[in-house]
Amino acid sequence: MSNINLQCLLGIQCNDFVMIAADQTNSHSIMVMKDDEEKIYTISDKLVMGVVGDSGDTTQFAEYIAKNIQLYKMRNGYELGPTAAANFTRRNLAEYLRSSTPYFVNILLGGYDKENGPELYFMDYLASSVRVPFAAHGFGGFLSLSIMDRYHKKDLTEEQAYEILKMCVKEVHKRLFVSLPNFQVTVVNREGIKVLPVIDSSAMK
Amino acid sequence: MALLDFCRLDEKINLKPVDSLASFKNDVIGYSQNFINSAQLAIPPFANPVETLAQFNTKDETGREIKIEFDHGTTTLGFRYKGGVLLAVDSRATGGQFIGSQSMKKIVEINDYLLGTLAGGAADCVYWDRVLAKQCRLYELRNRERISVAAASKLMANMVYNYKGMGLSMGMMLAGIDKRGAQLYYVDSEGTRTPGKVFSVGSGSVYAFGVLDSGYKWDLEDEEAQELGRRAIYHATHRDAYSGGIIRVYHISEKGWVNISNEDCSDLHYKYQEEKGLKDDTF
Amino acid sequence: MSILAYNGGAVVAMKGQDCVAIATDKRYGIQAQTVSTNFPKVYQMGPTLFVGLPGLATDTQTVFQRLKFRMNLYELKENRIMRPKTFSAMLSNLLYEKRFGPYFIEPVIAGLDPYDNQPYVCNMDLIGCPNEPEDFVVSGTCSEQLYGMCEALWEPNLKPDELFETISQALVNAADRDAISGWGAIVYIIEKDKITEKHVKTRMD
Repeated sequence: MSNINLQCLLGIQCNDFVMIAADQTNSHSIMVMKDDEEKIYTISDKLVMGVVGDSGDTTQFAEYIAKNIQLYKMRNGYELGPTAAANFTRRNLAEYLRSSTPYFVNILLGGYDKENGPELYFMDYLASSVRVPFAAHGFGGFLSLSIMDRYHKKDLTEEQAYEILKMCVKEVHKRLFVSLPNFQVTVVNREGIKVLPVIDSSAMK
Repeated sequence: MALLDFCRLDEKINLKPVDSLASFKNDVIGYSQNFINSAQLAIPPFANPVETLAQFNTKDETGREIKIEFDHGTTTLGFRYKGGVLLAVDSRATGGQFIGSQSMKKIVEINDYLLGTLAGGAADCVYWDRVLAKQCRLYELRNRERISVAAASKLMANMVYNYKGMGLSMGMMLAGIDKRGAQLYYVDSEGTRTPGKVFSVGSGSVYAFGVLDSGYKWDLEDEEAQELGRRAIYHATHRDAYSGGIIRVYHISEKGWVNISNEDCSDLHYKYQEEKGLKDDTF
Repeated sequence: MSILAYNGGAVVAMKGQDCVAIATDKRYGIQAQTVSTNFPKVYQMGPTLFVGLPGLATDTQTVFQRLKFRMNLYELKENRIMRPKTFSAMLSNLLYEKRFGPYFIEPVIAGLDPYDNQPYVCNMDLIGCPNEPEDFVVSGTCSEQLYGMCEALWEPNLKPDELFETISQALVNAADRDAISGWGAIVYIIEKDKITEKHVKTRMD
């Protein structure tokens, strides 16, 4: 049985940045193998991808996409923007979906576009891609989505958005029966990609 | 008769009337069981009722789909705070993805001091709440005092526990006020019965919990508590396809219950959007 | 549960007097969870040609992109724009290519013929069997409700503004009886030299 929904991805986009958080648990059947797994992948200078899903698929797919986008930049001398990258990712996922080896991954893609500012894309393993102001994957996402609905505003600062993510993690700790102790957080803004402190129970005080 | 005797047919065929047909009394018992005792339902006419009932929701022996879709999908919540108990519910009833009603009353007024919420099978909840109301009234008449919430919830739990495994589906909260103060219990058809501070039940409960937990504290003022409950349900109706309609808020204090508000989700949505300064066309 | 009802959504199209209308809801959900309220399933394919692709969201996007690709090829090769009737044939052909592993969408086409201005509506099943009635076509998770509304409200020779009222009422009220359609709607009224796009307010629960 897959544990795709036992993992959790959160994403918030505001006027100046896009922030993605991912749980760091790597579990197999009833065991936790690791609690400092990196599930947010850097794709290019201003583009990150949070990936959850089957353990092999996540890394393979994320790196396949990352390397191809880097190759595109080397060949053409310019980068794919977030919209183009999301489209490229979606198309690959969609083509693999109807092959004998589909990738079983849910994705949040966040990037900063020179012209359009920050963008966040929600993609599920069936390869439907939607641009959203905030989104979440997994059962943890169910609990978090209404918190983001309640507190999200377009003009939040990075500190405020980080606080909302903390509220979400707090709720996941309180209500989700699976243990997801640590959440890594990455923000993309005009300056580039920045890694923020991990959210765990000690960060909640 | 002579021929009959001669053929000795009566030895081969039973020509005597069936017992139940012969006796009017048996008829009364056989055909009006829960009329006489409302907690007495007909036992399912097959073995392993849980599995057999589940088959009804898929296919019959000829491979055709049969649909016995009970009403499901709800968001209900209740919490205790310094001012008493607050209950808030939505009002949508769905059968599959079809919306059957947008105006169901999912809070049952058992008596002036006791409320029950319904989630799960609509018929199950409505029936057992009514039986409970009767039991509570009887208790009151026999003992010359109101039943405690603990006792009422125990009655409920015991009644439905008799049918465990037969396919009852309900998750309800019982809220009320008694000598020990404001009380909130969660009871379900699995046999769970537990008191608590904050509960949310139904398909939209995950969303309601998010808002509820992030805004809850014991020292809420009455208005704050009402708004918290309303908001939690509103956010659940927005995200959960199977919740919606009217948001009903009830408050219970020493004076008994009061129906605070019944507001349309749609009106609330555009009110909250406006407060946030959002146009409806934001993605 | 049907895979056609995994994401939810509805589209309807109607003929009027020298005009046609097509309307779509805006929900994108994953089963019971509403993820986005900005996912219209109707795309403009020509000056007076629209297509609606309700069904599995990933296939909505894939089929739209493949349709656009084939249509561009046609128009470059032929150096003229495509008639709605031709477009239907092309879409039917595209869908039947996947006869044994279909795209899970049931398309609706609406347009005015660019050469003789005749109104045209058409819908198809997921493997491309076309149906071209004289009044209206419906598709999506609340198609039963839509049929009921359209049978009751539609009449011949509606003017553009009457057609707008009719199609909006049909879609909005049908979606209000369906748990997984709604959350906003867009109506397009197509006339000879004018396209009117209207966003309709709906219930958001």
